Amino acid sequence: MRTLIILMLMAGIAFAQKVVELEQPKSNKVVVKLMFKNGSISDPAGKEGLTQLTASLVTGGGTADMTYGEIQDFIFPMAASYFSHVDKEVTTFTFQVHTDFIKEFYPIISGLILTPSFTEADFKRIIVNQQNFVDQVIRASSDEDYSKMALEDLLFRGTNYQHMKQGKSASVSTLTLDDVKNHYKQFFTRNNVMIGVAGNYSDKFLKQLKSDVMKLSDNKPAMPEAGKPNRPEGINVEIISKANAFGSAIFTGYPLKITRTDNEFAALMIANSYLGEHRKSYSRLYQKIRQTRSMNYGDYSYIEWYDQGGSYQLPRPGVPRSSNYYSIWIRPLQIAKQLKMQYEELSDIKVGHAHFALRMAIREMNLLVENGLSKEDFEATRTFLRSYIKLYAQTPEQRLGFLLDSRFYDRKDYIAELDKLLAKVTLEDVNKAIRKHWQVDNMYITIVTDESEAEPLAESLRNNTPSPMSYSNQLKSGLPDEVLAEDAIVAEYKLNIKNVTIVPSADTFK
Amino acid sequence: MRPKFQLPYVAALLIMVLLLGSAQADKILPYQIHQKKLSNGLNVVTVPYDSPGLAAFYIVVRVGARDEVEKGVTGFAHFFEHMMFRGTEKYSKEEYSAILKSVGAAANANTTQDRTLYHMTGNAEKLELMFELEADRFQNLKYPEIDFKTEAGAVKGEYTKNYASPYMQLYEGMKNTAFDKHTYKHTTMGFFDDIVDMPNQYDYSLTFFERFYRPEYCTIVVVGDVTVDQVNGLAKKYFGDWKPGSHVSDIPVEPKQQETRYYHLQNGGIPPLVQLNYKSPAFSDKEIDMPALDVMSTILFSQTSDLFKKLVLEERKARFIGGGAGDSRDPNLFTIQASLIDKADMQYVKDEIVKAIEKAQASGVTAEELKRTKSNLKYSFAMGIDSPGSIAQTLSHYIQLTGDPESLNRTYANYDKVTNEDIMMVAKKYFVPTGLTIATISPDAEGGVK
Repeated sequence: MRTLIILMLMAGIAFAQKVVELEQPKSNKVVVKLMFKNGSISDPAGKEGLTQLTASLVTGGGTADMTYGEIQDFIFPMAASYFSHVDKEVTTFTFQVHTDFIKEFYPIISGLILTPSFTEADFKRIIVNQQNFVDQVIRASSDEDYSKMALEDLLFRGTNYQHMKQGKSASVSTLTLDDVKNHYKQFFTRNNVMIGVAGNYSDKFLKQLKSDVMKLSDNKPAMPEAGKPNRPEGINVEIISKANAFGSAIFTGYPLKITRTDNEFAALMIANSYLGEHRKSYSRLYQKIRQTRSMNYGDYSYIEWYDQGGSYQLPRPGVPRSSNYYSIWIRPLQIAKQLKMQYEELSDIKVGHAHFALRMAIREMNLLVENGLSKEDFEATRTFLRSYIKLYAQTPEQRLGFLLDSRFYDRKDYIAELDKLLAKVTLEDVNKAIRKHWQVDNMYITIVTDESEAEPLAESLRNNTPSPMSYSNQLKSGLPDEVLAEDAIVAEYKLNIKNVTIVPSADTFK
Repeated sequence: MRPKFQLPYVAALLIMVLLLGSAQADKILPYQIHQKKLSNGLNVVTVPYDSPGLAAFYIVVRVGARDEVEKGVTGFAHFFEHMMFRGTEKYSKEEYSAILKSVGAAANANTTQDRTLYHMTGNAEKLELMFELEADRFQNLKYPEIDFKTEAGAVKGEYTKNYASPYMQLYEGMKNTAFDKHTYKHTTMGFFDDIVDMPNQYDYSLTFFERFYRPEYCTIVVVGDVTVDQVNGLAKKYFGDWKPGSHVSDIPVEPKQQETRYYHLQNGGIPPLVQLNYKSPAFSDKEIDMPALDVMSTILFSQTSDLFKKLVLEERKARFIGGGAGDSRDPNLFTIQASLIDKADMQYVKDEIVKAIEKAQASGVTAEELKRTKSNLKYSFAMGIDSPGSIAQTLSHYIQLTGDPESLNRTYANYDKVTNEDIMMVAKKYFVPTGLTIATISPDAEGGVK
């Protein structure tokens, strides 16, 4: 399909009023994205969750002409759709419609953006779910997501990046409909919006869209500076103790200075893909922890935020960030209580596999810091990435999303530019980037685990107690000697633990 | 001024039908499905699609949790999917990983109750390498016993992550309650005791491969920047010598349920939930029952339904309500569920759901509702097929059910035929108390919903 990518820069401040076009004349649909440079970091203190609630109320409410229910009835036969997505620094509204209904659907786009109804009834319906998310869902539905959010809570403590976009239990309960109306007027304006349009649309359509977007509030929002991650001294561990957890879910992280804006990012991307490419069996962490030792479902590393990693195998657009950190995701591991029930020979163990897996992951990273990547691994990983990154944007919606994100990072087409950067990068560049940006002595670690595991694991970590891998007999008897020999080294690998705290689940995200 | 929808959407629907008619008369998929069955029984499906440089390569194996009929081996189809990444005589698991990495594709696999799906989407120029890799492991998989025992731990890890969700716990318990004999009694993950015992089942794993990883169980689907001749040629070259098998699973028939059943999960950490699970029919692209149920579920339980408007938008007693039947090879469940604000409303919400069903049984739905729903189904489909992967995924869904990707086109043709009488017929036939399993979550020790 012939695709034209046209960037039009209109007068205005850096982000505002840019228009990103992705013309696809053969497409049967039109995709519109309105990206506001305004995310959860602009939530006022004590009103955390306000941006999320505002965006939810725009797409979960009505317009001046139609209620939410009437809109749903109206667009149902067209199968048109729209949704909002809030992240730390941007909020994006996405609309998709079949070309047969562009004219009929357009008033919904303009109505929601220009005349959101913001009714009390819609407010009450929507806030109750947001309150429930921060009160219950984040603690109860996925221990992996829980540990990921807890890591951000530690990394960014005291900054506007700390809180979940949904807010906190105490803050969501203070939000009012007037807060929402004011926030929309103050922060969703013609001066901080970027227009994206993809598919089979007409010049007239785009002209109308641009004209209507210009009718948004003319307020010039004072965007706060993005909070920077705290730099831990030593390894600081927070164990979240939870009733009836089935395993130990782990995230680790520390601040990272570079983002997609920096050309050096491509070099670090190669190192990271080799160590822990998301959901890929050919990365080092996966092979060591899952494939060879069967400890969990997977283990990955990241040099930027990865949205909804449990659901998506490829990265999603719409989450550009200027404040960055490195992280390792170790998926849930067996705890002592479970292992004891499963294997008689493990009846005397005190802790499950979490300590060993942490040691192994951090040691693997350190081996890269000390030894660098080999020429062979460098070439193989670069070849993989140059093909793989092109799969990030297979649909019109994804392609448009990545183009909008590119502008956030002062790029035009990140995926195309990244390919060129990858083509140029050398082994020396990669190993230099590793030495410059990777270290294992200072990081935060969050572990969500069962009440029975929390204290023994904390003690083991505090004292750097040797943590021999507790295999069942049937598995251990068949493992190669080199695996067992490496296990012996890993079991005593010293982590620079400085502090370990246990936090009851009820006390998190305060 | 409020826009009017009736005329535009009817006109547009007509235009869409006319446009589709020029390429694929009366078929929902606007691209031709090319099929070639090799002499060994392997079906090869190709859909050339305008995606320069990109191709999706899928293999559907029609084996899933449904085929786990022997005691003690629940979860084995899924476990075996993991084993397929453990190497062959030609390529060790390390070599396989290295070559897969060189393909630069998004490659993975997943298992459901009725099928196991292996997929790669990547550079179309690497299509022959994709064929070679897949043909080798599908015909020559070979792993040492220690690899088998090791991989079992990863499955346990997968169960451990999934089990953190109370909804997964409810699903596991509900299925175990709703079924007595049929293998839909267990989830695709399998019972936990069987997962713990998996390392002891090495010999069974060899039997499993012998039985199911055979050409007659498999369909290759290639969508994207390819030609039909190219795909058929590669299929013959790499899969042509694959020997067929003879195994047919003897799936137990579920006895007729006699009374309403109940399963309750006590959990105060998430909102109360009420779930009604009615026994529903197997998928068919010939009978009208399943298309009628799909249309009915959209009208009764989607976000535009009267029930949603009442319980979610107006009364705000439910956070969410939804319902429908998943397609499956054997009779399964039609599930309606509501997440509530207050546990005191559980009985009320259940009664309101039943009232909506009873109304459909007595008087059906309106002609306008039928027309709007049929339009929604068609346009939803048209909007969803926007990449080689999404088309391959859709075709794979119908292949798992009948073995024939044309079932997709037949199913959507059947949607057009659904009448109000069909809706009333399926509402009366399947929504009966003796086919119902009520599953609930609340902080209380008992569900309490009658």
